[in-house]
Amino acid sequence: MPGPETDLLQGTLDVLILKTLSWGPRHGYAIGKWLEETSSEAIRIEEGSLYPALYRMEKRGWIEASWGMSELGRRAKVYELAAPGRSRLRAEITAWRRLSGAVGRILEARG
Amino acid sequence: MSWRFWQPALRREVEEEIAFHLEMRTRDLITDGFSPEAARLEARRRLGDIDAMRRHLLTLGRERNRTMHRTEWLAELWQDLAYGFRTLARNPGFTAVALLTLGIGIGGTTAIFSAVNAVVLRPLPVPEVHRVMLVSEYSGGRLGNVSVGNLVDWQAANAARPVFSELGAIDWVNLTLSGTEPERLLGARVTADYFRALRVAPLAGRVFTPDEDVPGGPKVVVLGHRLWQRRFAGDPAIVRQTIPLNGQAYTVIGIMPASFDFSTGTEALWVPAAFTAEQRAQHDEHYLTVYGRLAEGVSMAAAESMLKEVQRVLSKRYPDANGNNTVRLQPMMQQYVGDARGQLLLILGAVGLVLLIACANVANLLLARGAARARELAIRASIGAGKGRIVRQLLAESGALAVAAAAVGIVVAWAVIRTLVAAAPPGVPRLEQAGLDLPTLGFAFLMTGTSTLLFGLAPALRAAGSNLQGVLRTGQARSSSGKRDWLRQGLVSAEVALALMLLVGATLLVRTAIHLQQMDPGFLPQGVLTGRLALPAEKYQSPEELQRAFERVLAELAAAPGVRRAALATQVPMGPGGGDNGLIPEGKALDHTNAVGSRLRIVSPGYLATMGIPLMLGRDFGPDDRAGATRVMLVNEALAARLFPGENPIGKRVACCEGEPADPRWKTVVGVAGNVRSSGPTEEVQPEFFLPIAQTPDVAWNWIGRAMNLVARTDGDPMVVAPSLREAVRRLDPSLPIFRLETMESTLATSLAPVRFRTALLGALAATGLLLALVGIYGVIAYVVTRRRREIGVRMALGASTGNVLRLVVGQGLRPVLVGIGVGTVGALAATRLVSSWLRGVSPTDPATFIGVAMVIVAVGSVASLIPARRATKVSALEAIRSDG
Repeated sequence: MPGPETDLLQGTLDVLILKTLSWGPRHGYAIGKWLEETSSEAIRIEEGSLYPALYRMEKRGWIEASWGMSELGRRAKVYELAAPGRSRLRAEITAWRRLSGAVGRILEARG
Repeated sequence: MSWRFWQPALRREVEEEIAFHLEMRTRDLITDGFSPEAARLEARRRLGDIDAMRRHLLTLGRERNRTMHRTEWLAELWQDLAYGFRTLARNPGFTAVALLTLGIGIGGTTAIFSAVNAVVLRPLPVPEVHRVMLVSEYSGGRLGNVSVGNLVDWQAANAARPVFSELGAIDWVNLTLSGTEPERLLGARVTADYFRALRVAPLAGRVFTPDEDVPGGPKVVVLGHRLWQRRFAGDPAIVRQTIPLNGQAYTVIGIMPASFDFSTGTEALWVPAAFTAEQRAQHDEHYLTVYGRLAEGVSMAAAESMLKEVQRVLSKRYPDANGNNTVRLQPMMQQYVGDARGQLLLILGAVGLVLLIACANVANLLLARGAARARELAIRASIGAGKGRIVRQLLAESGALAVAAAAVGIVVAWAVIRTLVAAAPPGVPRLEQAGLDLPTLGFAFLMTGTSTLLFGLAPALRAAGSNLQGVLRTGQARSSSGKRDWLRQGLVSAEVALALMLLVGATLLVRTAIHLQQMDPGFLPQGVLTGRLALPAEKYQSPEELQRAFERVLAELAAAPGVRRAALATQVPMGPGGGDNGLIPEGKALDHTNAVGSRLRIVSPGYLATMGIPLMLGRDFGPDDRAGATRVMLVNEALAARLFPGENPIGKRVACCEGEPADPRWKTVVGVAGNVRSSGPTEEVQPEFFLPIAQTPDVAWNWIGRAMNLVARTDGDPMVVAPSLREAVRRLDPSLPIFRLETMESTLATSLAPVRFRTALLGALAATGLLLALVGIYGVIAYVVTRRRREIGVRMALGASTGNVLRLVVGQGLRPVLVGIGVGTVGALAATRLVSSWLRGVSPTDPATFIGVAMVIVAVGSVASLIPARRATKVSALEAIRSDG
């Protein structure tokens, strides 16, 4: 079932979320905010696509959710990386490195 | 796991998450300098189409919940089972004993169930079979066949007042199918209504029409599926072709479906009965098997009372033919399954007892282990495992055990079914169709589930119910030990009781088998070969031709090398043929009320010597007893006693078989033969009389189906002369098959096969039960000894002798055994009544058997207690006192 904001970046968004969670559990808003800040807003994340991505990955068992406390003392749903998500992240990173390396070599090649 | 319990409903989860996001974003925007109002709007704008997202999240969430529930449930089940399997693997000794015990129990019950299902439970492939009745004449407590005349009159009455929608009849006959290899087949003559009453449609072609079921009608035949496959390669083009049957061309008009071959022994083909007008008026010869399908809304009782009324009139009209016969209905299914039902259900019961013993054993093993693990469980409980959790864990262990036991059981069942089908005596209908089919596997799982509850629940609850604090303090489940011992000893008593019942039953059967084995059959089976030959009516018409043909074969056989004596007889012991006749001694009124029923044997001179039947008085038939000479007969001792009690029968005259009051064709008794158990060693001696073949009454050739047995006595192995016997027949007519070519020894052995089979079966079950009970007793005593080591040590330190300790321990071990013997004896007294019809020469309450079995069990119980008891006395007192247990 495609979400309202499905685009080419969806797979990429998943990897970015997994990476974000690799430093520890966070709630949805914090994930979005961290991505925004880290990429210096070079990548614009559609906020509307963030939550469907989280639910989808939760269903697949890549991440797990539980209810915890936000920094402001409010009840919030906190996401955490699960073992399948961790190995997924590793695989994606390897693939990305290989791809970017290859693309880089081509772009910088001299005829 | 915990989050499932306080997880808010999905909708609330989504709302709360969106609200949280909006709140956080708004707060951040205000910090960035937005006005509160603008910040709220901007936050919503950035999130996009919130309604669409909410719907999307709900869908995703529902899918997520479904997946997670399933995986969570499976994961927990797997976790518990894996834990169970690990526990089993850690205790290989316990596991092996439990698996073997349960595997035998489950496998055995499953195998017998498969036989019960194949033979008894599966309905015949006849639509609404419960409405199809076997309609029999009934007199003197016996169901009898029906005469054609009576059937015709019943049909007429039924037409006037219908209680059956159809009333058809079948009469089994042997037919010869010639061709490259002539073959004798069991076939049947049926009335046109027969197939219609059963409502089984042919696979190809059609069945008989009423027009074909008339004398002189077309020669047509319907083939059975098995015969069609075997002889005609399943070629459908055989329909409308002709086949040579009894020397005549019969047109095949139809083929019945495979399901209509009810069993391997059923008839291979059908021809129309086509009763002649003379037969239709004949009320005297009762040989038809009649089936009726109850009409809509008519009960079995109503149909029976209607026919009884008709039969009352018929008995008055034909008193000599019908005597005081009345009518009895019986569902076809019941008639078809017959004795097999009782036998199989009884064996199923016996196997069930073994399974119960197995369950009691495993329950005891689990209890013992539960006691040993009391500390582990107590620790688990103290670190937060609830009682429910512990019970579930123990049940999962039982479950793991059950899963493994089911696997073992199915393998055992497979092996037992194959052995059973191969070893079972012939004549159990449809047994060959037993197998590991779906109902059987279902039964195996049902048995597994039931036994898991039986052996698993009590120990689990017991363990969870024990006082855990006390366990932790003392290291043992002392607080509930009294109750636990009571339960364990009760289980041993139950095992002993069940084993005793099995053993008593088996012993009674063994004694029956020995009795039958030692019984004199009345003839000398060693060195005798027999073979059966039937002459087709189409080729051999007159009585003279028949007699000449048989005598020619006999002469050939008698002259063959290796044959010491040879003879002809319509029936040999345990073989088919012959018939019953009423005999009236001279001096009594020639009235059927004075007739003594007796079995007819038509024989050639020398039959008695050939078969080894002693001549008690008078002489055998000789060459002078020809047609036209004085009519003579031989009687056996049983008949002599009935006809001429207390008198010498030689020279007395008897009327039978032919003639009329004006000329009763008196036959003079010239000799008395010894009694023979003609129906097999398990049956009583019947009155029999013999007529010489040369004086065969003309009508008798039809009674005996123009069939005779060739009998040859040799000095060595009788099978050596089998080729000579075949050759003798071939010289007369190469198209005639010889059938039932057997030695008398093998015939006798075959007739005892059912006895041997059930004896072996029940014996094996009883041995298994006893072995399991032995393991059970040993287990309990070993456990008691371990628990009382300290006490035993103290006793020995205080001067108790080894003998004292042995007596103490064995005495304690025997207490539940004695209780079990008491209970089992009562059970066996009730249960052996069920096998009383199988017993010969021993009473179902035979005291010697009961006492002997009880003594065997006491001996076994003593041995089982002695082993751990001896171990107990070897313990040094100091060690015992120091030890924790």
